[in-house]
Amino acid sequence: MTRYVLGRIATALGTLWAVYTVTFVVLYLLPGDPVTQLLAAGDVAAESLSAGQLADLQARYGLDRPIHDQYAHHLWRLAHLDLGESFTRNVPVSGLLADRLGPTLALGALAVLLAVAGGGAIAVMAVSARSGVARFLLRRLPAAGVSFPPFFVGLLLIQIFAFRLGWFPAVGSDGWRTLVLPAVTMAAPAAAMLAQVLTRSLDRTLAEPWVVTVRATGLSRFAVVTRHGLRNAAPAAVNVLGLLLGATVAEAVVAETLFSRDGLGRLVQEAVLDQDVPVVQAVVLVAGAAVVAINLVVDLIHPMLDPRVTAMRRAG
Amino acid sequence: MKKLGHLLTLLLLAVLGLAACDANAGGADRDGSPAAGGTLRVAFWDDAQRCADPNQVYWIETRSVNRQVADSLTDQDPATGAIVPWLATDWTVSGDAREYTFNLRGGVTFSDGAPLDAAAVKTALDATVALGAKSVLGLTYLAGYASATVVDPDTVTVRFNQPNAAFLQATSTTTLAILSPATYRETPERRCAGRIAGSGPFVMDEFTAGTRVHLTRRKDYAWPSSLVRNRGAAHLDAITFSYIKEDSVRVGSLTSGAIDVAWPREPISEPDQKLIRATGGRVESRPLPGVSYQLVPNVTDGRPLADRRVRQALQKLIDRRTYADTIYWPGYPVVAGVFDSTTPYFAPQAPALAHDPDGAGRLLDEAGWRREPDGYRYRDGRRLSLVDPVTAALPGDQLLQDQLRQAGIDLQLRVVTAAQRVDMFAAGDFDLALAFLTRADPSVLGSALDQAVSRQGTARYSQDAGTGERISALFAQGLRAIDPAQRGRAYADLQRYVVEQAVSFPICERVQAVGLSRRVQGFAFTSESFLRANDVWLSGADG
Repeated sequence: MTRYVLGRIATALGTLWAVYTVTFVVLYLLPGDPVTQLLAAGDVAAESLSAGQLADLQARYGLDRPIHDQYAHHLWRLAHLDLGESFTRNVPVSGLLADRLGPTLALGALAVLLAVAGGGAIAVMAVSARSGVARFLLRRLPAAGVSFPPFFVGLLLIQIFAFRLGWFPAVGSDGWRTLVLPAVTMAAPAAAMLAQVLTRSLDRTLAEPWVVTVRATGLSRFAVVTRHGLRNAAPAAVNVLGLLLGATVAEAVVAETLFSRDGLGRLVQEAVLDQDVPVVQAVVLVAGAAVVAINLVVDLIHPMLDPRVTAMRRAG
Repeated sequence: MKKLGHLLTLLLLAVLGLAACDANAGGADRDGSPAAGGTLRVAFWDDAQRCADPNQVYWIETRSVNRQVADSLTDQDPATGAIVPWLATDWTVSGDAREYTFNLRGGVTFSDGAPLDAAAVKTALDATVALGAKSVLGLTYLAGYASATVVDPDTVTVRFNQPNAAFLQATSTTTLAILSPATYRETPERRCAGRIAGSGPFVMDEFTAGTRVHLTRRKDYAWPSSLVRNRGAAHLDAITFSYIKEDSVRVGSLTSGAIDVAWPREPISEPDQKLIRATGGRVESRPLPGVSYQLVPNVTDGRPLADRRVRQALQKLIDRRTYADTIYWPGYPVVAGVFDSTTPYFAPQAPALAHDPDGAGRLLDEAGWRREPDGYRYRDGRRLSLVDPVTAALPGDQLLQDQLRQAGIDLQLRVVTAAQRVDMFAAGDFDLALAFLTRADPSVLGSALDQAVSRQGTARYSQDAGTGERISALFAQGLRAIDPAQRGRAYADLQRYVVEQAVSFPICERVQAVGLSRRVQGFAFTSESFLRANDVWLSGADG
């Protein structure tokens, strides 16, 4: 087991290095440089500066050195856990991350809770509802949920719950009430995906011969689903949940922009547009680390949920 | 369910009716006594520069924040463009426009307690020059700056190496706002992060770039310019600025009462304006003074626009009224020159910019570009194609493309990133380049077109040597003349010449449209179309 975990950690570090390098190369292949990009975004053109002034600005950000020098320099600093300074914000990247990580974590956590609760509830009801019509509708609901773009869902939620009913604020990052609408926006497609996977594996589980035996002991259909079915269907759902968790930062880009929230998603979106390389790389590293960690956890708890995995490993 | 819908609509209409009555009631005592207190909540669209320091800011939204915090030596009347006293009570300008002497108002203090005196003004101007490239606007506003000299505690003299008649207007801008001497002991980066103290009616106590800015009223403020009605401290307790990227969310926040002012960069769309009015709010608008939204040609030999007849045909082919009516709304101001109508010394050239497709066709025929069966014009087997680098093919660009296609010109919208476009403009890899710039002084066009001072592609490629010399001479004349009548003549000649030679193709005015809730009273634009909050107050006690 120890060797297995150590191996996984080594793979994780390798993955992070690859992620870092690919991001670095992609950002440097983009046309233009951060300085002209920054000035072009404003009401002024970079050409109004003299060559000397431009060179000053570039030297300030270390952009005048050859690309491999810059890469080595950044990697060396990273090895010392120094994430460098933002090109466009004049603050250390670590401080930016510290400020923005909390809101995104809170948002992501609530979104996952809602997704699990919502997806689970839909799946359970879809297989256990007595009414055929209800079962038919509940089975098709997730397909609709997956096809709605989050951007549209978010705008709809804002129109109804913020502007019409006034229950929750449309924008901002202060207080739990600002969390609700963006979390629902992020949770909707995730819940739909979870419901789809869970419904299918519940179907498979309920078709197993042992279910007939369990039903024969007098358990209701609902009790069979919740007490026995979910436990057997859980591994597939946990795998999907792992994928969804990994995509939190990507989903936060839409939710945080739409709801004008502070967080990693909006930070990385703005940083990409500004070609603020240190910030993009730091966020990508954090997101990468999260994906790697989640995968590790999923792999480790999989055997607990499904004894067959361990049994197979022993046999093999 | 349908009945319920009708009922809801009726109810909504009733509420709106009441709201409208209330708004009128508010209007009735608008000229009476303004109510004190309250927080004005403003939402902009974005802050890409993320800098709070007025001396470094070029982002126009941030200049609306700066204006409340930092005062300037002079102020500019939005109605006439005249420069009026503010921190300076009066001034003299030497006949060669190289020496300015300002007498300062007494009793003015910065928010950190330091007094405003001649030494403070010198510190501020020297520090702004020292910012160099970090103050992109300061570079041109202070072009040729030699020194500032403290004559006595209330008198300061500013000298230039070259005539700079536009400097007087520059002293009214937020870019040359005077901050406290202690502020300039901070690094430029820390000033950007919000470590600034000015002498304005508000104090900046929070600046979280792109997220939240919080200003609190200064109770002892007593030195506004004559353009402000309120002679003392501001009516508002505080102002908050937030940033909402989505238009519909920003407008919805206004109509649902979550904010008081919705201030986007692009004009608020007509349907959104109707929505704002339907909820008792209103929309105030004013064109940004300075270079209008325009395309500038590349007249390099061998390119189609090297031929003046083709350029003049293009001038006649742009249907500016249709552009204003369809891209914005009927009644949107139609651009009438190289400047927006709010620019001082603006001289409209409407007849020269009239839509005349027949005249344009004759000019193109004369220039040898003949129509082929495919609808486009050709000469020596080459199609009349014009490359226009854009960052996105917006409806306006497509309308223009269509207007030119009808006359047989193939406008190629080359979609590139902003940085790529900068490179293309600099390398002359275009036929038409976009230009616009905000400043309430006609000298601003020099940044785009004057080959003697500007390194921009729009200056370098838009004129042949002869035309360039004539244009530079007119700009120089405008910067030498301190007499308004003389300046006016120079810039009138310049505006006529630029349009006649088709060195610029004005497309539209750049209007700032600001959505206000019915609570907001006393709203005012500065001469550069930024916010002036001294006279703003909130009616009604509702939150």
